[in-house]
Amino acid sequence: MNAIEVTTLTKHFGSLVAVNNVTFTVPKGEIFGYLGPNGAGKTTTIRILTGITAPTSGTATIFGHDIQREKLTARSSMGIVPETSNIYDDLSAWKNLMFSAELYHVRKSERESRATELLKTFEIYDRKDDKVHGFSKGMKRRLTIAMGLVNSPPLLFLDEPTSGLDVQSNLIIRQVIRDLNEQGVTVFLTTHNIEEANLMCHRVAIINRGIIAAIDSPERLKKTIQSVQAVELALEAMSADIIEALAHIPHVNDIRREGDKLRLYTEDPGSVVEAAMAYLREKHIRPISVNTLGPSLEEVFVRLTGLDKGRKNEKTVT
Amino acid sequence: MVYTLENLKNDLHGAWAITRKDLTIYYLKPNIYMSGILFPLFMLLAFAVGRNAPIITLIPGLIAITALFSASSIEPVSIPIERRTKTFDRLLSAPISIFALVLGESISGLLFSYSICILMLVAGAILYHLSLVSILILLVGIALSCFTFANLGTVFAAYPTENVGEVMSLLNLVRLPLIFISGVFIPLEAMPSWGRAVSAISPLTYASDILRYGFEGVTHVGLVTDIVMLLLFVIIFQLIGNLLYKKFNE
Repeated sequence: MNAIEVTTLTKHFGSLVAVNNVTFTVPKGEIFGYLGPNGAGKTTTIRILTGITAPTSGTATIFGHDIQREKLTARSSMGIVPETSNIYDDLSAWKNLMFSAELYHVRKSERESRATELLKTFEIYDRKDDKVHGFSKGMKRRLTIAMGLVNSPPLLFLDEPTSGLDVQSNLIIRQVIRDLNEQGVTVFLTTHNIEEANLMCHRVAIINRGIIAAIDSPERLKKTIQSVQAVELALEAMSADIIEALAHIPHVNDIRREGDKLRLYTEDPGSVVEAAMAYLREKHIRPISVNTLGPSLEEVFVRLTGLDKGRKNEKTVT
Repeated sequence: MVYTLENLKNDLHGAWAITRKDLTIYYLKPNIYMSGILFPLFMLLAFAVGRNAPIITLIPGLIAITALFSASSIEPVSIPIERRTKTFDRLLSAPISIFALVLGESISGLLFSYSICILMLVAGAILYHLSLVSILILLVGIALSCFTFANLGTVFAAYPTENVGEVMSLLNLVRLPLIFISGVFIPLEAMPSWGRAVSAISPLTYASDILRYGFEGVTHVGLVTDIVMLLLFVIIFQLIGNLLYKKFNE
């Protein structure tokens, strides 16, 4: 049995089609990434899968339970961490967890031990009796995730779990997600952080304007766009003339400045490296580093969502 | 899906958890006290000052409108705030039914209002040496009235807004006229026939009537009618609340 099965799911808001005929499955034990630009239909999909919003048509099941017809049973097996940290600022961390445990029917005998364990895992146990309004954004986020895990769910929905957080919170949250997955928890993760999806997800779905553009493992998706390999150069000196000259090397399709580096996009990295090195030697410019890069998941995302349309004809960057 | 006894047990636990959460967070919010206590008190003073009516004739009305304003003020404050902070989604996505949500929110209104009304009753008894005809009817009547008005507040709080003022404005469009058509300050017998007809569809009519019985032993519509009508309003508001929360959250 799959953790999630979605069949021809559609949601209309008036004339707007937020989710359009979406079909996918998430097997038990998988970390499934759901990527898409703002307004693509990610949150609407999560709201349907968690039974908050009813679909216009189509079905979704959670461990075999239809989310519309068997809502309470389906919800009992999931933990939900929304994009906004929806915790009660006027309650302490402990009381927030106790409230969540009661809503999820966690037995009285288990509530306190589970809450203690989660607060220690997320490194906020020392502040358990403090009201949450004094917490940092990262601590609030960690508490929100802890509240989503209070019923030890076999399926966890995480909406942008690490968006805008400090490094410490990011590290803790990612480690917890990995540990949970090792224990068999299925994770449905939406994120804007494509590198995070690349590192953590077994498979990703890319959704745009309510339609799924692709579903596969990150590595397989990258292979579909081999044409966006790149040569990355870090140079001691960088000027508009140098960039212009490198942009005119044969087989360079595009050139972009990324921080203190230049990326030369090409289908033939070997010949571009040779030509670029010849040019640099001739001009007595020492390269600090030279790397060849395969296509990133971000590039797959940009291609599939059409976000590169505005940059298609771009050749040089100054 | 069949609604089992286990579901009912879980819903009642969930409702009680929501009630306790509301008790902890919202009972000290200033706008709840302003709307729930000070407003009915000033309303009473506006009517009482300059009139020589004995206090016993004013107390039932005061307690009835206090029940109306205090019980119906918790949810119109707490729910829009929770929509804004997104904590309301936490309630909507939990494994409890909409019934548990509506019930839990309404019970918090009931408890808040009941404690205020009892406080007023005790204060009245001490300060004015009020004699009561039936303390039991009075306590039951206050509880029923508070629960009815708490459900009314929960129904209005279903309006999908994050702005407390919007819900309060809508609610006051109903609460304020109720005071004038329910025999609180203007006796039912002094009203024209159309006024008496309209008063029959006001829950405040039955609330003030049952409280008057508790104080004075007199009732205009009958004790059984008062109890039946208040229970009927509870059921109607529960049904409407369940429908609205379901509709507005899909």
